[in-house]
Amino acid sequence: MFEKLIDNSMAKSPWIFHINAGSCNGCDIELVSVLTPRHDAERLGFKLTGTPRQADIVVVSGPITVQTRDRLVRTLAQVPEPRVVVSLGSCPRSGNVFKGSYAIDGPLEKYTHVDVSVGGCTPKPEAIMAALAQAAQILAEKRKEMHK
Amino acid sequence: MLPYLTKAVSNLFHKPSTEQFPAGDPPKAAEGYRGRISYDPEKCVNCGMCIRVCAPQCMERTIEKLENGDQKITFTFDMTSCTFCSMCADFCARHAITLTDDYMIVGTKPEDFLVTGSFVKKAPPPKPRLTPEQIAEMKAKAEAAKKAKAEAAAKAAAAAAADNG
Amino acid sequence: MNELLLNLFYVLVFPGLLFCILMGILLAGLDRVWVARMQRRVGPPLLQPWYDFLKCCGKETIVPRHAKKAVYFAAPVIGFVALMTISLFLPVVKGRAAFSGTADLVVILYLLTLVSVCMMVGASATGSPFAGVGLSREMVAMISYELPFVLVILAVSRATLSYDAGTGMPLTFSLQAIMEYQEANGPLITQWSLIPAAIAMLFVIPCEVGMHPFDVSEAETEICEGTLAEYSGPPLAVYKLTHMVKMYIMTALFCVLFLGGLTTGILFFDVVIFILVCALLTFITMSLPHAVCARFKTEQVFKFYWTVVAGLAAISLILVWLGL
Repeated sequence: MFEKLIDNSMAKSPWIFHINAGSCNGCDIELVSVLTPRHDAERLGFKLTGTPRQADIVVVSGPITVQTRDRLVRTLAQVPEPRVVVSLGSCPRSGNVFKGSYAIDGPLEKYTHVDVSVGGCTPKPEAIMAALAQAAQILAEKRKEMHK
Repeated sequence: MLPYLTKAVSNLFHKPSTEQFPAGDPPKAAEGYRGRISYDPEKCVNCGMCIRVCAPQCMERTIEKLENGDQKITFTFDMTSCTFCSMCADFCARHAITLTDDYMIVGTKPEDFLVTGSFVKKAPPPKPRLTPEQIAEMKAKAEAAKKAKAEAAAKAAAAAAADNG
Repeated sequence: MNELLLNLFYVLVFPGLLFCILMGILLAGLDRVWVARMQRRVGPPLLQPWYDFLKCCGKETIVPRHAKKAVYFAAPVIGFVALMTISLFLPVVKGRAAFSGTADLVVILYLLTLVSVCMMVGASATGSPFAGVGLSREMVAMISYELPFVLVILAVSRATLSYDAGTGMPLTFSLQAIMEYQEANGPLITQWSLIPAAIAMLFVIPCEVGMHPFDVSEAETEICEGTLAEYSGPPLAVYKLTHMVKMYIMTALFCVLFLGGLTTGILFFDVVIFILVCALLTFITMSLPHAVCARFKTEQVFKFYWTVVAGLAAISLILVWLGL
């Protein structure tokens, strides 16, 4: 019964950790605007945490620069299971306008499995909300698979 | 501090200003919003201008040769690579590319982000075939004309010499 | 046998474990809803802290390589048990605590300190530099609120002395005696010489709990949650529960110290009124500052508590000592 309670609450309280892997700050600002009174992600239980250890959803923005690559990999390894990785904006999936630069070592798929992606440069907060809601559902499914 | 305090307490009795989005339809984007690309292959003439002006190189063109000499041309726009700058739409002479106001570019697979379209470019009509006799005839005609021209020129030259002399 | 069952009921159900957890979840949920409403948001559901707790229970625990494993796991549990013990000393409703002694207030003071110390020990056991910074900040915060807190307790215990004069002690630290004094003479907050102490106590509550403007040790944006930087999974859930229950314990302590002795005679109404008062105190002391203030710097907290708050408490203490 306790397991079932945990399963049910998994999707209701996903905590977000945001990694900026060389982003131009556009996506970061839009992610913060998701928590503002107008879009209020907290009513779905979302909360920004300060440490990867407490995170359920990792949001990565920015093309993976060479400087952030090692930190990104290390931070992702610190997130406890079950976890969901969301790539925010065009950059993590493709490199966007920075594609082909010597300072870019993307895409994000090289380092981790990306569960949900949001396209856009930058995405609208509504799109981010939809992606985070989808990520929360995936989180609950992952939890169910974990103790099967 | 006090004004914030009174504002905070008075907010308790106001309706929240939150949008109801995840429940219900997503709100419409602002006018002139540049969202997901829509590509109309019927209008495209394969000039390649969009590929030239795209900064993140988000489109890919594949040209497939068909058996009858036609070309099947496929344009693929990767929405996770696009910056939505609208350059391709501005430079498209035939207005085959437009940016819609669909901003909900969310997905779990790479295919969710691709906008594709393909059209068949017809090969130019074949040149009329000539039989060898026809060719020989045409050649003979051309030679005859050439000879006549040379004779006329020689005659004219002789007449001119006689006049001078 | 009956005595044993009654004690078990005290420990596990009514003023103890179950009631504490329910009240903690209720107050924490109300706080989050209120803060959201004050910022004109919809806010999370009322049971959001409960969901958070359950979710943390279901996560994997990653023990850092440099951590002392035993201390890492023991610290949150010891802190939680210490907090639960406090609830047994609080004469919540009937004017009678589950266990009472002659020096309840001193024990409560020590146990509250133990909760913070457990947090610091747990943080230091993780070996993370962020936890180290959080630990030092927690220590400064503790020093900040402890002085006014002790002054408030001294003022209260001196004010209720006249009732307990027979023991020959200059002060009384028994909550039982304080409750009986208030039953006879009305709540302490009605005595004008103790009003500054009550205000000081209102300021002590959010810092003791670690609520937003005073949460220097858990500043999530600056030092990655500080003391909780390396915690995940069930130990984190216990910490979160400790934090919720502390909200209840501190508001209940204020009720006992300054608003005790009021009773309608019917137990049910007493409990309901007590819960409402706790919720009101949560709103005044925690939700309002949370919605209005940005986080203080560590030295600002220290300065504020040792000048303004300690000053208020000291004024009260002097007034009480002079017999006014």
